[in-house]
Amino acid sequence: MINIRQATVEDLLQMQNCNLWNLPENYQMKYYIYHEVTWPQLSFVAEDHQGRIVGYVLAKMEEDQSEPPHGHITSLSVLRSYRRLGLASRLMAQSQKAMAEVFDAQFVSLHVRKSNRAALHLYKETMKFDVKDIEKKYYADGEDAYAMRKDLVPGSAAAN
Amino acid sequence: MADINKLQSKENTLFKSALRFYEIKQYKKGLKATEQILKKNPEHGETLALKGLFLCNLGRKEEGYAEVKHGIKNNIKSYICWHVYGLVNRLDKNYEEAIKCYTQALRIDKDNIQIVRDLANLQIQMRNYEALNETEFQLVNLRPNLKQFWIGLAFSYYLLKKYDSALKVLEAFESSLKEKPVETKYEVSEMLLFKNLITEESGDLEGALKHLEQFEDKIVDKKSLLESRARILVNLNRKEEAEKVYRELFDRNSNCDSYLQNIFKCNNINLENPSDDDVKKIIEINKGLLEKYPKSLILRRTPLIYLKGEEFNTEMKDYLKTYFIKCVPSLFNSIKNIFNDAEKAKAIESIALEYYDQIVKNGKFDGDENKQYPTTYLWILIFLAKLYDHKREASKALEYVNKAIDHTPTLVESYMLKARIYKHDNDLETAMKIMNEARELDLQDRFVNSKCVKYMLRNGNIDEAEKTAGLFTKADSPSPLADLTEMQCIWYEYEKAMAYAKKGNNGLALKLLHQINTHFKDIYDDQFDFHVYCLRKSSFRAYIDLLTYEDKIKSHPYYFKAAVALIRLYLKLNSQPRKTKEELENEKFANLSPSERKKAMRKARKAQLKNAQAQAEQNQKNDTNKKVDDDPDGEKLLNAKDYVEECIPFVKSLLEFAPTRIETHILATQVYTLKKKYLLALKSLKKSYALDKNNAEVINNIDQFVKNFNADKDTVNATSRKIIEEEIAKIAK
Repeated sequence: MINIRQATVEDLLQMQNCNLWNLPENYQMKYYIYHEVTWPQLSFVAEDHQGRIVGYVLAKMEEDQSEPPHGHITSLSVLRSYRRLGLASRLMAQSQKAMAEVFDAQFVSLHVRKSNRAALHLYKETMKFDVKDIEKKYYADGEDAYAMRKDLVPGSAAAN
Repeated sequence: MADINKLQSKENTLFKSALRFYEIKQYKKGLKATEQILKKNPEHGETLALKGLFLCNLGRKEEGYAEVKHGIKNNIKSYICWHVYGLVNRLDKNYEEAIKCYTQALRIDKDNIQIVRDLANLQIQMRNYEALNETEFQLVNLRPNLKQFWIGLAFSYYLLKKYDSALKVLEAFESSLKEKPVETKYEVSEMLLFKNLITEESGDLEGALKHLEQFEDKIVDKKSLLESRARILVNLNRKEEAEKVYRELFDRNSNCDSYLQNIFKCNNINLENPSDDDVKKIIEINKGLLEKYPKSLILRRTPLIYLKGEEFNTEMKDYLKTYFIKCVPSLFNSIKNIFNDAEKAKAIESIALEYYDQIVKNGKFDGDENKQYPTTYLWILIFLAKLYDHKREASKALEYVNKAIDHTPTLVESYMLKARIYKHDNDLETAMKIMNEARELDLQDRFVNSKCVKYMLRNGNIDEAEKTAGLFTKADSPSPLADLTEMQCIWYEYEKAMAYAKKGNNGLALKLLHQINTHFKDIYDDQFDFHVYCLRKSSFRAYIDLLTYEDKIKSHPYYFKAAVALIRLYLKLNSQPRKTKEELENEKFANLSPSERKKAMRKARKAQLKNAQAQAEQNQKNDTNKKVDDDPDGEKLLNAKDYVEECIPFVKSLLEFAPTRIETHILATQVYTLKKKYLLALKSLKKSYALDKNNAEVINNIDQFVKNFNADKDTVNATSRKIIEEEIAKIAK
């Protein structure tokens, strides 16, 4: 069984663990806590029937005053063994709905490694993000990132 | 005699600039300024203290403390000196000491707002809520116009569970405002939800419900609003209305289990022990929802839990077929706990085998028009391999997984599964090799890399594991482990510790297990910076969760595992004769030829020397707080005087945070028996006996306890002896 729900402080250690298993971009616990206490509505987890976290989205609002309010996906990942269930899209939909509803987000942004074609495909084709820009040497190892965006129209953000 | 604590105007200006340097964290410049003052006024107390503060912040702790203490001695009546002493203690996370210093500073300068605020922070950190409440009161008195202090006061009442006072303070502040402060919609909304939470927790459910209605438009966090409303309605036993709200929530997120469970509960269904009638109701409600939310994952699965017999078989057939076609890797996992039911397990096995036969024979499912894609066959094979692996029938599992590999030699999942089957069959070497093949099929994927690293560690290939892990760690990090430690990668540290322990490299094993404990300490300390932050950000509810969570952080399974392993390792070491340094070195290089060994030992000695040098250099440098590892091989840990004594803090943590686990009491019994604390040992012995009297370790512990106690009897006082003898008679044979 997969249960999708808002993340709580209690989930953060397992989210960190899931992130370390899956992705090369890692963060200390404090950064997770920062997300959780600042925008508690925006992060979600998927757990299996034993309460093991198999996927998560860690998200925030950008506080750049020069642009309209918008959300940002800090990290999104699903364990390889839990793919093909649409968990990433489902997690993302929940987060996006909350961004628009709670914080009036006009759009949501994220970064993806240029070489990560699977992720690019997922964001582009399944989740309808557009490539807005290429950020040179965005990642610590020197790789470029696609900066992607998706408009959030009130009321239509979530699909179940 | 001239007053040592008097400064000329020039030095006075310098002193002020030094204070400024501290505020903007320019510690080197600050240090210089204080040294300049001290040239002319070598005994000036406040300057000495301040110099110490700069030194501590630059990592020169010992000198720093000496200077601070010297400063206090020279000017014991200065609040600055005491404040500084508080700050250095806080820097070292000696919060208890810091509180004492601040209190002393406030005795001298009772209305110093900065010190009062710092004190409030420390009091939250130490969960000293009564004192916090007094401090917050003082802050409001000092600055009655500042909103943040009123909120702090209200929050302190909340923490004391004085809900009425908390609400009154918030209202008093709001009504005293002549002008509305500038607040975002979000801040307004969070404040309303905080007030609502206070009202609900005070037990005034009707009031809380009305409050939600009244301010519905102003609450932007609709999900929280609905969740609160539903919860309150349930507690008021207004289940029909509650169900409506839960259905609204389910409409927002049709994969949320708790909403679904609550819809069932609102229909008076007993989910723990459902009657036939309950099952009927569950299926009916579930069916209705599934029509509306056909993509929901949990709705597809719910009937499988409750149905039995033929109805179950029909449902399961449909379920398996759907997900075979969808190629879902977690299909078997999703029904693992249903598999615990022997009858259902049998049915699942025969359904899957039947589907397998159908596809093998006709390339399609019976009754279907269309042929299946080859992937359907592949995922049926993987499902069957997983099923037999779960039953620990290795040869059958291998038969199916090998078919899968023959069919599609590029699917990573098949190799991962094959490796797992070998692991379960205790062939760690083959398991590792196959997992490495899986890894090589997808070098970009960290998940399969992590799996491979884990299998390498399980097989004792420690260096190879580190190298492989390094493919995904930061290149500029001194080593893969250093990066993983900085990122608090607990699983890796744990597995590596276990691998070291298995090889007898106990120093490094201890070191890594202690490192995990340090992560938990750090995560506990992380909250310090959020005390002011959360209240400023109006994150009341998330902050309350954070405080609660930090209080029980050590109840996390990761901590439990590491603490248990650490105590076991110490106890093992305690039972063996101590090894000499030479023996240890020889052991480390046991697998090498004599000439290689010499070389390796020379290399190790060189590294040690280099490390010592680096340490010395680091001590010289004063611009960084970073510490060089002063125990790279865990030798200091191995040289501990009393291994059993080292266990005590961990035993205490386990007793506090994992009191229902049998391991806790097994280990507490052993440690306290060795420490001759017979009453404490007995207490845990009884608990473990009650949890499982047939456990081999428990039985062994009883014997050991009786043996040690009998030998020691005369040293135990008469009352305790009587209690122990009576109690042990009940469990010892």
